Amino acid sequence: MQRTLEKGVEILIKTCGYFTSVVVILIVIFLFKEGISFIGSSPVEEGFSIIVSKSNSLQSITSQQAKNIFDGKITNWSELGGDASDIKLFSLEDLSKIFSEEELGNDFENSDKCIEKLLDSIPGAMVAMLDAALPDKHALNVLPLDKITLYKFLADTEWFPTAKPVGVFGALPLLLGTLLVSFMAILFALPFGLAGAIYLAEIADKRVRNFLKPLIELLSGIPSVVYGFFGLVVIVPFVQNLFDLSVGETALSGSIVLAIMALPTIITVSEDAIRSIPSDVRQASLALGASHWQTITRVLVPYAASGISAAIILGVGRAIGETMAVLMVTGNAAIIPYGLTHPVRTIPATIAAELGEASFGGLHFKALFALGCILFIITFVTNYMVDSISRKRKI
Amino acid sequence: MIVFPDSSDQTKRWSQIFFFGLARILSIFIIVILLVILYFIISRGISVISWEFLTAAPKESMTQGGIMPAIIGTLYLILYSMLIAFPIGVMAGIYVHEYSKDGPVKRFIKMMTNNLSGIPSIVFGLFGMALFVNYLNFGASILAGSLTLALLSLPLIIRTTEESLKSVDQGFRNGSYALGASKLYTIRKVVLPIAFPNIITGLILSIGRVSGETAPILFTAAAYFLPKLPSSVMEQCMALPYHLYVITTSGTEVAKTRPMAYGTALVLIMIVLVVNLVANLLRNYFASKVKMK
Amino acid sequence: MKSFYVIPLLILFAIACGGTKQKADLALNLKGSDTVLPLAQKTTEGFLKANPELSVAVVGGGSGTGITALMDGNTDIAMSSRDLKIEEKIKLKEKGLDVQVVTIGIDALAVVVHPSNSVSKLTREQIEGIFTGAITNWSEVGGENMEIVCYSRENSSGTYEFFKEHVLNKKNYGNTVLNMPATGAIVQSIGQTKGAIGYIGLAYITPEVKTIDVSYDGGQNYYAPNFDNAMNKTYPISRPLYYIFDQKIETKIKPYLDYCLSAEGQQLVKDVGYLPVQ
Repeated sequence: MQRTLEKGVEILIKTCGYFTSVVVILIVIFLFKEGISFIGSSPVEEGFSIIVSKSNSLQSITSQQAKNIFDGKITNWSELGGDASDIKLFSLEDLSKIFSEEELGNDFENSDKCIEKLLDSIPGAMVAMLDAALPDKHALNVLPLDKITLYKFLADTEWFPTAKPVGVFGALPLLLGTLLVSFMAILFALPFGLAGAIYLAEIADKRVRNFLKPLIELLSGIPSVVYGFFGLVVIVPFVQNLFDLSVGETALSGSIVLAIMALPTIITVSEDAIRSIPSDVRQASLALGASHWQTITRVLVPYAASGISAAIILGVGRAIGETMAVLMVTGNAAIIPYGLTHPVRTIPATIAAELGEASFGGLHFKALFALGCILFIITFVTNYMVDSISRKRKI
Repeated sequence: MIVFPDSSDQTKRWSQIFFFGLARILSIFIIVILLVILYFIISRGISVISWEFLTAAPKESMTQGGIMPAIIGTLYLILYSMLIAFPIGVMAGIYVHEYSKDGPVKRFIKMMTNNLSGIPSIVFGLFGMALFVNYLNFGASILAGSLTLALLSLPLIIRTTEESLKSVDQGFRNGSYALGASKLYTIRKVVLPIAFPNIITGLILSIGRVSGETAPILFTAAAYFLPKLPSSVMEQCMALPYHLYVITTSGTEVAKTRPMAYGTALVLIMIVLVVNLVANLLRNYFASKVKMK
Repeated sequence: MKSFYVIPLLILFAIACGGTKQKADLALNLKGSDTVLPLAQKTTEGFLKANPELSVAVVGGGSGTGITALMDGNTDIAMSSRDLKIEEKIKLKEKGLDVQVVTIGIDALAVVVHPSNSVSKLTREQIEGIFTGAITNWSEVGGENMEIVCYSRENSSGTYEFFKEHVLNKKNYGNTVLNMPATGAIVQSIGQTKGAIGYIGLAYITPEVKTIDVSYDGGQNYYAPNFDNAMNKTYPISRPLYYIFDQKIETKIKPYLDYCLSAEGQQLVKDVGYLPVQ
């Protein structure tokens, strides 16, 4: 009895040991299941078709072109390489205005005939139509849209996921915004973080250390949302007034908030790296007549360089994944950032702001999961780098 | 052979004094930032905190009343996520440190745990929504939120458990084996009691982390306004960090809800302060006990 | 071994907390539009004062979220600040839901700027130009030489959709527009930003922002976004606010709905800053 119980508990312990690996694998499965299905789908909203007249010679259009048509920026088919005829847009609502209910049918059973009639009379017409209201869409000339490819997703420069009926999914501005804010944050945090680490590891006496370390831990314990609140109420107006900007919600504000948040990570990891240097290295340098400061800058810091770079990478990884604080202070405009004093939109903020609204399993939903995959890959890579650096150090 | 070309004693001394001063100033600046944040929130929040604020539901579109449902909701989330994560995390820590042999398997597990700790909280939110809310059909609920938070806090618990098991002297184990005890019995009766305070420190730190996380509960648990307390784990709940986010960004009268926001932020900060204080006290207490041995 | 006592105690405590399972007779869930949220919150407060034994939960997220949740059976009432789209109607039919749409209040959208801005009236076309990115400086619309900063709601909100449909003539917003997670944040940001412009519900107007008179007839008549103009329908940008629910549970939500439409409920609608239905 006792033996089986012990065996049972030991099996349980073993299972728990593998638990995190299972969780990571599950995360990968669930994220990438949705994310990968996004690649290769058509950017037209599910259940919609773009119908043009049979005389239209175009083979397909990109989602960007479609958006420009709907925005009235492209008004003639010739601009897309088609025939020279003006583009006229019709929606289902328009149809119900043009045709009477008898003509369309109660459940739109005759809508295809009406559309044909319309397209015959206006060759440049373009109808955005719900499939459910179409009895037979194969009889019509459905204009296919270019499928979303991984390259397009990463390289397109506009993010209009809810544009109707064709969404535009370009993650580049989001990706660049995320990287800009994160790297600038680490750049701001580095001098303070390094100074703090050196001070704690080498200069401060034990009493001061014991007093400061908990305070720095406290800095890492403050919730992201509180940082966001502080950023919104204090840092945003501060940045706006200091640089006399037209907007305070900028990449700069985000970077400053993230820099404060990244400090504890950089300090603790770097300090560990400096403290773990064997003391005879320090003694040797001092014995050769170097001052304490020379020892620090020319012996200890280079010696701990790998640990410090691990701290930097870790800090960047943390900053990239930060959500709430950034969401509250960067203004979230999805443009390719061309300076620190402009609003940016980061990937985590985009997911947080839009996921609640995206209908489950729809294109937008999948696009956000695809963004989640990008985030996952970035953090996975940074982790791997930190891992390999710290393994090398041990050898 | 390191050569110091500029090593006239005078410059050496002065540059050292200068740079040490600089390092001190920069370090002090970090502390100043912390104090500014704390002062900013405490000074403006302290007048808001009252018995009513802590025990009443929000009233008059969040401009009056209190944040009790959010506090209770956060307590629920902490309680259930820790009930799930703590046993699993401690056992996983025991497995990694006491059972697994050095080698690829152990390295793999350690790497995966590390990876899990590096995953951004918003990705946990996505995952929680995909798995718990939709796939397992829990809907947005305390259960889904707690599970998501539990996964998020696992790595921290595992790591502190490992650390505290490491600090237990091998001699204790050997002595126990010599007396004929089995491995599990040794862990239970000898190793765990010694490591226990430190393991609890990990638990407390996780509580601090879980209480402040917003992104994972955005889609899995948090409700905007729910004056009634939840009556089962299948219901949504309000939560402090989400509540702070909500009253900071929405509401018809930003100026009037501002005090509420300061109060909520202060309560969150208080949780963090208390958690850190307790964790440090435990650590020091434990360290002094070890020294006595 | 302490932990062997502590953990069962914790579990007991958990059961004690979670075990008090008395399902309220009426647990209502409202989900959806952030514009309706303050109103729903207010009426819920009033309703619960009269019926303390009931339970009502109000969750935001946006109109689309509410309607999606209604389709998936995750909410009883979807709050919406826009009409059901045709595709939503068709989807709801597919799911076998026969929904009822009840107007509980009316909201006018005000276009607002920073109080120091000299511009006080705009035509619809100008607003369209500003928000689509064609007009980037206040001097182009009669103001001083200052960059225009547009604040908008997130692309998932019903207000965003409504504004796009009725003011921007279905064109997409320019990509330099700043997206704010909620209207409160828009008000706050506009109050801090000299060159800012944004759109908010009447309920959200505070002294920190200045409202703009709007013309829909090319600049002949300008109307201010105020209570009276919205009531007599001269102010052009207004919309009904809806509660959408499944016919089948009408009896369940009738008390709540009746309260919202009663004199007391409609007074609350006014208090929040929206317009009553009658």
